[in-house]
Amino acid sequence: MLMLALRMLRHRIGSAVATLVALTCGVMILMSMGVLVESGMRFTPAPQRYAAADILVADRDMTIETTEFGETATVTVDLPTGGSVPVDLADRIGQLPGVAVAAADRSIQAVVPIQDTAQEAVAHGWSSAALTPYRIVDGNRPATTDEVAIDTRLATAAGAQLRPGDQIPVLAAGSERQYRVSGIVDRTAAGDTPAAMFFTDDHAAALSGSPDRAGLIGIVLAPGADSAAVTDEVGRLAAESGVTVHTGDERGKLEQSEALAAATMLIQLGAVFGGYVAGLVMFVVAGTIGLAVRHRRRDLALLRAVAATPGQVRLMIVAEVAQLSIVSAVLGVPAGLWVTDWVHGQLMTRGFIPDGFPLAGGVLSAVAVSAATVLVAVTAGLIAARRTVKIRPTEALGEVAVEPARSSRVRLVAGLIALGGGVTLTMFGTALRGEAALGAALGMLFVFVLSAALLAPWINRYAAQALGPVLRAVWGDSGYLAAANLRANARGMATVLTALVLSVGFGGSIWFLQDNLERESIAQTRDGMLAQHALVSAVGLPATAVADARQVPGVVAATGIRRTSVIVPVMGGVEPVAAQVIDPDGADRALDLSVTEGSLADLRGDAVAMSSLQASTQGADLGDQVEFWLGDGTPVSLRLVAVYERGLAFGDVTLHRGTADGHTPTNLDDQVLISTEPGDAEAVAGLAGLVERYPGSGLIDTGIIGAQLATDLALSAWLNKLLIGVMVGYAALAAANTMIMAALARGRELALLRLVGVTTRQVKRMVHAEQAGLLGTSLLIGGAIAAVTLVSVVRTMTGHLIPYVPPLGWISIIGGTTLLALVTTVAPISALLRTPPVHSIGVKE
Amino acid sequence: MSVRVGPPADPAVRVIQLARTYGSGPQAVTALAGVDAEFHRGTFTAVMGPSGSGKSTLLQTAAGLDRPSSGQVWIGDQELSRLSETKLTKLRRSRIGFVFQAFNLIGALNVEENIHLPLRLSGARPDATWLRQVVDRVGLGDRLHHRPAELSGGQQQRVAIARALAMRPEVIFCDEPTGALDTQTAADVLALLRSVVDESQQTVIMVTHDPVAASYADRVMVLADGRIVRDMPQPGAEQIAEQLAWLGRRQLVTQES
Repeated sequence: MLMLALRMLRHRIGSAVATLVALTCGVMILMSMGVLVESGMRFTPAPQRYAAADILVADRDMTIETTEFGETATVTVDLPTGGSVPVDLADRIGQLPGVAVAAADRSIQAVVPIQDTAQEAVAHGWSSAALTPYRIVDGNRPATTDEVAIDTRLATAAGAQLRPGDQIPVLAAGSERQYRVSGIVDRTAAGDTPAAMFFTDDHAAALSGSPDRAGLIGIVLAPGADSAAVTDEVGRLAAESGVTVHTGDERGKLEQSEALAAATMLIQLGAVFGGYVAGLVMFVVAGTIGLAVRHRRRDLALLRAVAATPGQVRLMIVAEVAQLSIVSAVLGVPAGLWVTDWVHGQLMTRGFIPDGFPLAGGVLSAVAVSAATVLVAVTAGLIAARRTVKIRPTEALGEVAVEPARSSRVRLVAGLIALGGGVTLTMFGTALRGEAALGAALGMLFVFVLSAALLAPWINRYAAQALGPVLRAVWGDSGYLAAANLRANARGMATVLTALVLSVGFGGSIWFLQDNLERESIAQTRDGMLAQHALVSAVGLPATAVADARQVPGVVAATGIRRTSVIVPVMGGVEPVAAQVIDPDGADRALDLSVTEGSLADLRGDAVAMSSLQASTQGADLGDQVEFWLGDGTPVSLRLVAVYERGLAFGDVTLHRGTADGHTPTNLDDQVLISTEPGDAEAVAGLAGLVERYPGSGLIDTGIIGAQLATDLALSAWLNKLLIGVMVGYAALAAANTMIMAALARGRELALLRLVGVTTRQVKRMVHAEQAGLLGTSLLIGGAIAAVTLVSVVRTMTGHLIPYVPPLGWISIIGGTTLLALVTTVAPISALLRTPPVHSIGVKE
Repeated sequence: MSVRVGPPADPAVRVIQLARTYGSGPQAVTALAGVDAEFHRGTFTAVMGPSGSGKSTLLQTAAGLDRPSSGQVWIGDQELSRLSETKLTKLRRSRIGFVFQAFNLIGALNVEENIHLPLRLSGARPDATWLRQVVDRVGLGDRLHHRPAELSGGQQQRVAIARALAMRPEVIFCDEPTGALDTQTAADVLALLRSVVDESQQTVIMVTHDPVAASYADRVMVLADGRIVRDMPQPGAEQIAEQLAWLGRRQLVTQES
C-alpha cells in the first residue's frame, strides 16, 4: 500500500508539491515556536548573585481567590514591582539553629561617575556580601555611613585604579554623595551580574526608602546543618509573614526576574501561536489533499471498482500524506532552526528578551514538531479521505467523473450557527464596556472567520450567481463563462476563499489595530503633555527635585511622575496594568489627561483616577470605591475621583504619591514635568542650574518623549506584526497553492473551450473575470470582518468611531491580492494556453 | 422467455426481480423494472438495447458496483445485497473481473503493476505461472514495463482483460469494451474475450450496442425500458441489427402515439 501510495504521489507531482510546500512551511513555523517554548521551559538560570545562599525568602507573586460562575478558583500573578519582605523576619530567621547568615538584601540602582564615564552598579548592605559571596581582597568592610566597599570590576573600570581610601562620588536614591572606598571586594565565582558595591546595612536601608522592608532575605546554612529541617522552619516563619521560600533552581529564577518573564513570554507566545499555526496547517493540508482527491476522482473510482476497499483507499491517501509529512519534517526542521536563530537575534535586539538569553534544546522540539506534523497531516488526510467514501465505483465507467454538487448539511448548519454566534457577539460587543468588549471583539473575529470557512462553498455559489450579471456586463461572453465556472467550482475554491478571508480578516484587523493604538498613544502623549520640559534621571529623582523646580523663576508648574503597575481584577482573573504616580499639585498645568468626569485636584487621601476604559472594565462610576492591588500586592480600596480619556499614553490608573510611597521599589520619580511661560529664556537657564543640583539627571524637551514613545511602541508592535505577518503569509501561501493546483488541472477544459471556438484572448478574459469574482468576494468578506472587529476595538480603546488605516495598508491588501491572482492563476493559465489545444485534449484524465 | 445456453450447471450469475430506481418522488427514473436472468459458467452473453434501456444499470448492479433498489444478485453462491461495502469490494476483486470502455488503467502504474493491482490489494500470493500465461495470451509480454499512456487503445483494453483474468474470476463484466476502438482492434479484443470463454471456461457478460461485437457472444439479451424484451441464442450480426432496428422503430411509434 505504501508503495502504491508512493507511485500515485510521483504521478501527481503537482499536488504532492503543493501539500509538501504547505507542510514544510508549517513545520518551519512550528519548529521555530517549539524551540522558543523549549528554551522558555528549560530556562533555569544558575544563581550568581545569590550563589552562596541556600534558601531565599521573597514575595514575588500573589495568589487570590476568584469566583466565576459560582466556582472558586485561585489565580496567581507575578507582582509587577517584585514585592518585599519585612526586615525583622531576617532577624527571626537568624535566630534559628543551623542558620549561619540571614541577610535582608536590598538592591539599589547606583551610578558611579569614573573618568567621565557613568558606571552602573547595584548597591547593597554589607551583610548581603555573604550571599554571593563577595570577599574582601583589599582594605576593610564599610564601617560608617560614608564608606563603601566596591567590586574589583568597578575599581578597575574605565582604566581607573581605585584603592581603599580613595574618594568616589556615588549617585543613588536620587542624590549624589561622596564616599570613601573602604575596601575592594571580589566574587569567588564568575558571572555576568552587574558590578556590586556595599554600604553599611543601615545606610543601605536608609537609601532604599523603606527601611523596614527588603527585596528578599538570603539564608546561608551553618556547616553540617540539616537543610530540610531548616527549610521547614524558615518556611513556617515565612508563611506567618505571607512570603515564600525558594530553594535550588528557583533561586536563579528569583535573581533574573526579567529573564524569567522573558521565558514565560516565550512559552506563552510559542504555545498560543503554535496552536493557531497547527490548526491552520491542518486546514490547509486538508484543503490541498481534498483538491488532489477531487482531481483524481476517476483513478480512485477505478481502484474502488477493481480492487480497493474503502478502507484501503483511505489508507492509501493517509499513507501519501504521512510520507509527505515525513519529508516535510526532514526539510522543515533545519529551516525552522535557522529561522529561530534569526528570531532569537531579533527578539534580543528589540529587547523582548534580555541579551544573552539562551536558546536551549531543539531535539525535543524537533521530535514533538515532527510527531505533531505527521499527526496533523494524517488527521487532515483522514478528513479529506472521508470524501472518497462517497466516490461510487460506477464513476469509473462514465465518460467524465463529476463530483456531486452537494455539500454536507452538517457543514451548512455549523456555518450558520457560527454566523449567528458572530452576529450575537457583535450586538453584545456594542453593549459591553472595557476589556470585556475587547474580548468580545476578538472572539467575533475568530467566529466570523470560522463561519466564512464553513460556509465557503455556499458563499462561492451565491457570489457566482449574484456576480453573474456584473461579470457579463464587464467581460461579455467571457464573463458569462466565468460566472458558470465559479458556480461549478464553488466547492473546489472554498479553500481559496477561506484562506483569503482569513488573511484579510486577521491582517486587516490585528495589523491595523497596532497602527491605531500606536497612533492614538502618540496623539495622546502629544496632546496631553502640557509641560515643555522634563527632568529625567536614570537613578530616580527625589521629591525635593519637584520642590526645587517650582522655585525656579519662570516655572509655572512642576509635577513628579513615577511609572509603575498595579494589579486589577479582569473578567474572573487579575492582570497588571500600567499606572502613573503623580504629585497632584500643579499636575493639571503639566498634564492634560482629558478628564471627562471629576477632577485630578481631588486626587488626595484614599483616591484614584482611572481611564474611562479601566473605569468601565471595573464597572466603577465617579465616587465609587474601587478595589485593586498595588504593584507589591498590597490590596487597596480607593475612591474614584476622576475619569480621563488619555489612558493609552499615561497609564490606565493614576495614583497620588501618598498612596504609592513604600509600595514601589524606590520612592523616587522617573521624571519631573515642568511647565514654563512660553519662550522664557530665564526659566530655561534656571532649569540648567537644577540639572547641576541633581547629577545624573538631564533636561529634555517633552517633544522627545513623544518621539521616544513612538519608537518604543513600534518596537513592541513588531512582535505582533511579525506573528500576524507569518500567519497571513501562510494563509496566502495556502490560497496560492490551491489556485495553482486548480489552474494546472484545467488543461483539458481550456483545450475543449478553444476547440469549440473560444479564442485564447477570450479564455484569458474568462480567467481574469473568474479571479475578479473570487478574489473580490474574498476581499469583501474579509474586509467586512476586519472592519467590524477594528471598529469595535478601536472604539473601545480610543473612543474614535472610524479606525485609521494607513494608505500603505490599503495598497498592500489590494496589491497583494492582485499579485496573488496574477502569480497563481494568470501565469499558469498562460502557460497552459501556449500548448496547442489538440495536445491537451488527448491527455487522459 | 428465458433461454438456456451452455451446460445446465449452477449459474455463475443470477439476478432475481432486480429493480433500480434513480432519484425519488415524481422525478424518479426507473432504470430496471424487475429483471430475472441467469448467466451460466463458460458462456458469453451480450447485453444490448437502446440508450436508457437499463443495460448499463443491469451490468453495474449485477457486478456489485451499484446497489439495486430491490431484488437479489447472486454471484455463485453469494448474495450481494446484504454485503458491506468492504465485503463487496473483496468479493469484486476476487470473483469478478472488469473491462470498461476507457480509462481502465491507473496512469501511475505500469502494465505489469496494473495487472497485479487486484492481487496486491487483496494480499494474495501471485501465481507466477498463471500470470505469465495471461500475459502471453493477451500478447503483451514485451510491454510489461510501459505506462498506460504509452500504449494504444487496443493494447490498453488487452491490459484490462489481463487484469480481469489475473484473479481467475468467476465472471468478467465488460462495459462497451470496444466502444473506443477501431474495427480491426475491436475484432482482436473480442476474439480474445471469446477465447477466454472457450479455452478457460470463463463467463463473460458484455454490454454493447454494436451488433458485430454481439455476434461474438453465445447469447444476446436485449433490454428496453428496464425489462428484457429478447433473450436468444446469438443469431448473427445481421439478425441482431434487425432486432435492434425493430426495437428502435417501436420506440419511435410509442413516443409518437
